[in-house]
Amino acid sequence: MTVWNSLERSKTLRLLRNKVVPAVLRKLPRAAWLPLLALSGCGNDFRLFHPVGQVAKAEWYSTLFVTGIILLIIIPTTVATVLFAWRYRKSRNASFDPTFTYSLPLELAMWGVPLIIVVILAISTYSSVFAVNPSDPGLLHGHGAAGAEPALQVDVITTDWQWLFIYPQLKIATIDTLVVPQGRTVRFALTSATVTNDFYIPQVAPMIDVMPGMRTQDAFRVNRTGDYEGFSADFSGAGFSWMQFSTRIVSPATFKSWVHETQASPQHMNYAEFLKIAQPKINKSATPAYFSDADPDLFNKVITAVERGLVFPVAMAMGNGK
Amino acid sequence: MLVHLQGPWSPWFGRLTLGDIPYTNPVIIFAFLFTVVAGIALAVPVLYYRKLGYIFREWLCSVDHKKIGVMYIILGLVMMFRGFIDGMMIRTQQVTADGPHSPGFLSAQHGYLPPAHFDQIYSSHGTLMIIFAVGPILTGLGNIIVPLQIGARDMAFPRMNAISLWLSVSGAMLIMASLFIGDFSTAGWVGLIPLTELPYSPSVGVDYWMWALQISSIGTTLNAINIITTIIAMRAPGMRWDRLPIFTWTTLSTNIIGLTAFPILGVALALLGADRYLGTHFFTGGQGGNLMLYTDLFWIWGHPEVYFLVLPAFGIISEIIPTFSEKPLFGYTTMVAATFAIAGVAWAVWLHHFFTMGAGPWVNTFFSVATMLVGIPTGVKVFNWILTMYRGRITYTTPMLWSVSAILMLLIGGLTGIMLANPAINYTVHNSVFVIAHFHCMVLLIAFAIFAAIIYWFPKVFGFRLDEHSSKRFFIFFVLGTVTVFTAMFALGFMGETRRLDYLYDPQWLPLLIVEEIGIVFYCISVGYFFRMLYVSIRDRGRNQCGADPWGTARTLEFLTHSPVPFYNFAVTPHVNALDELAWRRANGHADTPPDHYEPVHMPNSSMIPVIIGVLSFGFGFGMVWRIWWMAGFSLLAIIALIILGSFMPDPGYTISPEEMREMEAQHRAPGIMADSHPPHPAAEERLV
Repeated sequence: MTVWNSLERSKTLRLLRNKVVPAVLRKLPRAAWLPLLALSGCGNDFRLFHPVGQVAKAEWYSTLFVTGIILLIIIPTTVATVLFAWRYRKSRNASFDPTFTYSLPLELAMWGVPLIIVVILAISTYSSVFAVNPSDPGLLHGHGAAGAEPALQVDVITTDWQWLFIYPQLKIATIDTLVVPQGRTVRFALTSATVTNDFYIPQVAPMIDVMPGMRTQDAFRVNRTGDYEGFSADFSGAGFSWMQFSTRIVSPATFKSWVHETQASPQHMNYAEFLKIAQPKINKSATPAYFSDADPDLFNKVITAVERGLVFPVAMAMGNGK
Repeated sequence: MLVHLQGPWSPWFGRLTLGDIPYTNPVIIFAFLFTVVAGIALAVPVLYYRKLGYIFREWLCSVDHKKIGVMYIILGLVMMFRGFIDGMMIRTQQVTADGPHSPGFLSAQHGYLPPAHFDQIYSSHGTLMIIFAVGPILTGLGNIIVPLQIGARDMAFPRMNAISLWLSVSGAMLIMASLFIGDFSTAGWVGLIPLTELPYSPSVGVDYWMWALQISSIGTTLNAINIITTIIAMRAPGMRWDRLPIFTWTTLSTNIIGLTAFPILGVALALLGADRYLGTHFFTGGQGGNLMLYTDLFWIWGHPEVYFLVLPAFGIISEIIPTFSEKPLFGYTTMVAATFAIAGVAWAVWLHHFFTMGAGPWVNTFFSVATMLVGIPTGVKVFNWILTMYRGRITYTTPMLWSVSAILMLLIGGLTGIMLANPAINYTVHNSVFVIAHFHCMVLLIAFAIFAAIIYWFPKVFGFRLDEHSSKRFFIFFVLGTVTVFTAMFALGFMGETRRLDYLYDPQWLPLLIVEEIGIVFYCISVGYFFRMLYVSIRDRGRNQCGADPWGTARTLEFLTHSPVPFYNFAVTPHVNALDELAWRRANGHADTPPDHYEPVHMPNSSMIPVIIGVLSFGFGFGMVWRIWWMAGFSLLAIIALIILGSFMPDPGYTISPEEMREMEAQHRAPGIMADSHPPHPAAEERLV
């Protein structure tokens, strides 16, 4: 943390992060990726180039920083490889010296320079890991101070092959749709009723595994509204390709009315209802469902049940067979 | 039965019923017909020329390290071809199944493969390419080259060497069987847990995967014991450690990894087997099971396994670049140190395969930094190769082209590898196709080295060179395919495409998926040129015959003896005077000096036991997969009995007398391993066992 804080305080870095990098970024994608853009038609396809929220942005800056540092060594090496491979080909009759097989200064340099690079990268890794740590991102510390709304808690349970989102504070639940307010920290607790999945909203939230009988955490805060695609990134069986959920980040007012609307839903979500919806099902069009009167303790009940051996077996015809 | 099984079970046939043979699936029928046609194409000439007995005696029962190596490589190339077809099918499925309006063919809603079938194909693609293609080819190369490089007559344990081969073959055959009888695992080559547990993978697919890996990994462990012993104990006089060729060094380091890592895989798979067969709960989500334990065990093997593959590839590049630069390898000592540094750090990085599994930031930082450390010795290797080329006199034969391209691939793989080593970046691209593109860069660099090695050492083993014309075209199209497919794949990773998708929800990915498909076309052309290269080379073998050193600038001991290498390797055991012995002899005018006297040479006899153990281990695996207990039990008991029996029948071997040796050496082309009439040695015992 200390390293991150001192990096945060560093004027040069702040300038780099707040002015230079965004300015370069605004220009860079269109120029550098032009060949690819021409192929793909639209720059916005590159989701990871357009992070939203502090955590995702920090991850993207890490990507740029690390890539930049390694290119310091990769580019000269590539140039040397191509240059020597070209220059010393036999037909060119360049100088030939078969006795050049050892050089102490070069040996020291070839171990030393990569070592220095790795030390730089290690320091940057150390600070960035704490800053974006999914279970408790350092970047979201200190912002929820006095006056700010407490974090919105969302419990996530994956089944074969749907996403159940429970809002324990609001006693509502949804399937395959996640709606959160802008500007408020959202904290997730995640578990699976069946096999391992991976919670992923490319521009918004760091990836985190969702495992049966266990609880992982994730968090983000986004200061603008928008629609994003979320999905499972870790293969979980026949319905995996259709395990998507739409992520809507809405204004606090919209969120409030959405909550009211959902609280009026005729469907309820409790453990008995959960056992029904958790049967293997491929939700091909990711049709959302809304539940009121959700059991705020459902998450813990599912973990306990799975720990005690609850499984939702997949029929042979569904999971396997040609 | 200790566990609940879906579907019927009978004592004689286990879970096997007629319905398990997918004769209604057109894709499988096509694959079946293709295999049958290929099988007939191979069998007819063998039967026509009455070579069945020859193949059985001289190849299947052989304990000659060169023949075993050649069979390893044939196995690897055949499996690589199947793995390539799998890869082609994966790409074609994804390009046809992009977006909600994509068309559906056959029984699929999108593309032409329904999820369950697609998932088997990507699982077998990974398993085949890593375990049954690249692995056996590198093992085969080590088998052929290492004893020659250190001046030995054979491996330390020739019969065990054959057993290793046949265990690998039987694992590969299990995977082939899964194509036509039952199904294969859908849980990836890594065996995603708890998806591989019985409730979530109720069919025999996971069992096929598990036993194929288990059986072949025993083979790999035995082979590692063999190679390590050979290198330590069987070096020619004068072959001090500081004169050991670099490929032998890398093979030594790789097999130390093999010996120590593969048993871990064995344990992980055995515990999974206990879960699936006995109803235990080692890795289940509940009942006290811990699925993270499997992930840890798998990658404690899985990461060293990656270096198990890449280190010999580095060794190959380190042999080829000096030969074609006409210079000794730059920084030999540093190279050896870097090799062992990589092998050592390999043990401390496994967690980087699952940064997203929720380990704390300190743990992730440790494994991240450890992973980056690998970059240092790897960088050293690259610099040494570049400095070897510096002020060299480079000839661009195909092995050299492959090697230089491998360096460039390593640079891209290294760049993306360091990116992935940072958890903050990893959280955004883990499980995306960015990772796929990264590790394909690494595995393809190994493939590049393999193709370099095959072309480089082929004349040594067979006595004639491969056709350079078609082999250069093979190279060009292969590289073109690689660049096209994986540049697009890196981009798709940044667009958020994750791995193992049967149906892709985002239609905006289509242009790049089409680019990937174009790359696949290049790959197909390159495969065509590969076959053409083999055909033309064999047709024109008379014209392309070569002497002991086919390249004229080779530096190491294996190029001292005849090409093709006679079955006794060296007429007299060479005395080694220098690192790069052949270069030393050439410089001092000793390269062609015939030995002044011969000594009796002791050779091992062929044996039927290894190939029978191979067949029985297939029977054991097949019996376990389908829970046909009598078949599995009988095969296991028979294997144990054969091994005990074999150890009570010591192989006296036979001796080649100095006179015979002089006679054979006098015939300019000594009977090589491909020679049609291998003269049965009078002293060789007729019985094969």
